[in-house]
Amino acid sequence: MPPSIHPVDLISALRQKHLTPAIVFLTSRRACDEAMEAFDHANFVLPTTRQEAIAKALEQVMAHHPSIAEHPMIPIVQRIGVAAHHAGHLPTWKIAIEELMRQGHLDAVFATTTLAAGVDFPARTVVITQSSIRKSRDFTDLTAGEVQQIAGRAGRRGKDHVGFAVITPSPYIDLSVLTKGLTGQPEAIDSQFTISYPMVLNLLKAHPHEHIQGILAKSFAQFQLNQRAEVLEQKLDALHIKMEPFGPRVCTDWITQWHTFDHARRHRHTRHPTYRAEPPEISARLPFLTPGRVVGFSRGRGVVLRQYRSKGQKNSMLTVLRPESAVTECPVTSVKEVYDRTYDCPETSTYPWCSTDTFDRLSHQLEELPLRLPLLPILASTDSEPLPDAIVQSLEDFSCPTCPSRSACQKDFLTASRLRQEQQRHTKSIQALRTSLWHRFQERVEVLQKFGYLTLTTQLTAEGEWARLIRIDHSLLITELIRAEAFTGADPSLLAGILASLAHDDDRPGAFPRISPGLSSLLGQVRKLAESLSPDEDPPLLRADVAALVERWVADQTLTWIGLCRLTTMAEGDIYRLLARTLEYLSQVQTLKGTHPGLAESASQAIAAIRRGVLEELP
Amino acid sequence: MTTDELEQLLAQQPVAVLHRLARGRVQRHFRAGKRRLIELLLQHSAQNRAGFESDLLTLIGERQAGPTSGSRPRHETPPIAHKKAASRSSDSEPSEPPISLTEWLQGIGVPAPQPFVQDPWQIEALAAVNETDVVISVPTGSGKTYVAIEAARRAMEDNRSVIYTSPLKALSNTKYAEFSKIFGPDKVGILTGDRQENGQAPLLVMTTEILRNLLYDAASGEIDVRLDTLGLVILDESQYLADPERGVVWEETIIFCPSQARLLLLSASIGNPQDIADWLTSIRATPCRLVRHSKRTVPLRAGYLHPNGKLTPLFRTLGIPQGHPGHLHPEAKHLFMEYEEETLPSGRPRR
Repeated sequence: MPPSIHPVDLISALRQKHLTPAIVFLTSRRACDEAMEAFDHANFVLPTTRQEAIAKALEQVMAHHPSIAEHPMIPIVQRIGVAAHHAGHLPTWKIAIEELMRQGHLDAVFATTTLAAGVDFPARTVVITQSSIRKSRDFTDLTAGEVQQIAGRAGRRGKDHVGFAVITPSPYIDLSVLTKGLTGQPEAIDSQFTISYPMVLNLLKAHPHEHIQGILAKSFAQFQLNQRAEVLEQKLDALHIKMEPFGPRVCTDWITQWHTFDHARRHRHTRHPTYRAEPPEISARLPFLTPGRVVGFSRGRGVVLRQYRSKGQKNSMLTVLRPESAVTECPVTSVKEVYDRTYDCPETSTYPWCSTDTFDRLSHQLEELPLRLPLLPILASTDSEPLPDAIVQSLEDFSCPTCPSRSACQKDFLTASRLRQEQQRHTKSIQALRTSLWHRFQERVEVLQKFGYLTLTTQLTAEGEWARLIRIDHSLLITELIRAEAFTGADPSLLAGILASLAHDDDRPGAFPRISPGLSSLLGQVRKLAESLSPDEDPPLLRADVAALVERWVADQTLTWIGLCRLTTMAEGDIYRLLARTLEYLSQVQTLKGTHPGLAESASQAIAAIRRGVLEELP
Repeated sequence: MTTDELEQLLAQQPVAVLHRLARGRVQRHFRAGKRRLIELLLQHSAQNRAGFESDLLTLIGERQAGPTSGSRPRHETPPIAHKKAASRSSDSEPSEPPISLTEWLQGIGVPAPQPFVQDPWQIEALAAVNETDVVISVPTGSGKTYVAIEAARRAMEDNRSVIYTSPLKALSNTKYAEFSKIFGPDKVGILTGDRQENGQAPLLVMTTEILRNLLYDAASGEIDVRLDTLGLVILDESQYLADPERGVVWEETIIFCPSQARLLLLSASIGNPQDIADWLTSIRATPCRLVRHSKRTVPLRAGYLHPNGKLTPLFRTLGIPQGHPGHLHPEAKHLFMEYEEETLPSGRPRR
């Protein structure tokens, strides 16, 4: 069995059940074109009457849009009564197909899903072959809204009793996505409000800074944020009621009070791990005070015989051999110096804690010691960090242990502090929801001030006055380019080429015509500037091939549309859209007549040069 | 149906109906009292609102048709079956036999030409658009364009100018051609970024971006006189509000739309049209009217075409079983499983 039904079989199956005309939604443009080819090879021919009807209808369209008269698909469409319709086609050709479909001359149209969102022409049947759609670079599952939009094309008002949505499987189809989409409710829509630089400039031009917050509050974004905030506020109210039994007690803020007390109580033991804790500079010495070590006291010196802990003493203790064979016990704190000198002294378990031979030798060596001995450098570690002030206070400072409400506090503390934490979290998020738009606006304002479009008092500068007229994507880059005089003296074709590379956001690859040195150096300059602006504005793709293509179209007035299409691998429809978007960008630059007459003149020349051939037919 | 309405409706039902609704939806529903049951049902309904509502309405319908016959079989079901029914998911299949292909294909054809009759929602929308802003959310192909045309005609008869915006240039061109045919070429103009055709006409077609730019120019003092006489702004395909890149333009346009002009938002079916209407009410001078319905003018049937050319209905029922994606036609289900088995690489777990 084939992985999916052959287009010819598909249409004949539909025809047999009288389910035509149909729109067949396919995954890609190429799939649409291949389906057409398959038909072309299938020796399928319409009866002459229908062929004539198609020819007649096409002639009517041609009267308005002469550019399609030469379209290579015309004879095929006429012969087989089936057409492809996707974004790779010229708009005029798509209009022709739509007109044929509306008049009922075609049996089927193979289309990509982009059609579902755009132009509307209905049919008796829609055929769905996929459950996902290409969005930017990825395939994502169709949403219920999209499935219903597609299925919505089935059934023509006044021409059909019923419409049919037929699913035919292809690899990677997920039937449940489609059945859920057909039977479910469409998704709720969410605001996609973003604050752009031109928006900030235009708002500040028309309204004083202090009114802006009110204007932003009118957005659907804020409306939806408020809805979320209201839900949180309700939760907050509920928390408030729950918090009521935990109001002020003996202390007003008993939760904090108990928290610190409890903390102090718990950490008492970690603060004093042993009762005999030495200060760090003393405890650092302990590892070095081994038997045989020479140490100095306030009076005289000695050799350590052993180190030990004694029950009645706070500090570690030492047994030291002093001059004249005296053996003394002293705490480590009385050691003043530790010298870099040790003698061999194997420890024994009984007094005098070493063998008698060693004892005699050590007494002798102690007498012989030179007056000056090198000190042992000992680094006291100070990494035991101090505890926060609130906890350092000793337990005696708390009134809690003797407080009458002690037991109540102890019982309620966990619940109350959890509630209070929740309360604080909600309050914070509500605040964030209410003010996030305003903060984003302020961020934009700061950037515009940095670049000198706004004064510190948020008035528009002279630069800002004209920059606000550029209301397109990458506006910051374009205005910065104008300020850097990148376009001064540039040819209209160069200007158009650069704007085309800014306007084009598609990443379908295209082989490009030779790029002129002027354009390539200018494009390098633009790329550098775009990179330097990247913290404040996402850089555009800046494709050189589309820039070169548009430059050629503007510079070479003898170039025909067919000639232009031959220069690249891009589809006709894509080239058309590229030029149309470039026109849009140019017309924005054209509005700068007052401040940049040369540039505006260059833009209007470019516009006039672009508008010829196919591009003249539609407004 | 809003949640409040649903809750009210549930509260009006006898508890037996609620238990029947809860079967397969709520675990151990027989332990819950009426209040708690309603609460649980509402909680559950969040997962599949449409299915829940349709089930509720059928149950109410059954009760009204014959109060005894509706409840009788329930008592007769043996306890085992009862348990089974309770443990089954909410998508349990109905007892009626699935429809046949011939039934499914019945009724194909062209209806006899009838005089055009306005749908009730169209009348409602047109009556409202004179006084207030209107949001229309109806399925694709229900006749939104008719409302747009009629509203524009009435506004122009009152000497108010009209702006019609669409998201795409291609759509603008189509509408420009269509409106020129209806109102005459001198009454309709089109504005694009670099070109104006008949820019002084009372009905102007443009993309939403162009209108946004006009509104900004007007706000900053470069006054465009036509905005004073602007009576109606029609925003077609308003569901573009949710477009990640361009949605913001619709918001700006609505925020800065002059207060004397009426707004008419045309949108395909969306999940939260009430939110849009509430939003408009909160920022505009007059309260906004929401017109919505979910029934298609031309009914829709879904089918399944197997790669070997065999056609079957997709669902057990003739129409689309709203809220029950699991009610597949047994034959379609069987064929699709066969298809998946053959096309999926072996060893790959099926979803």
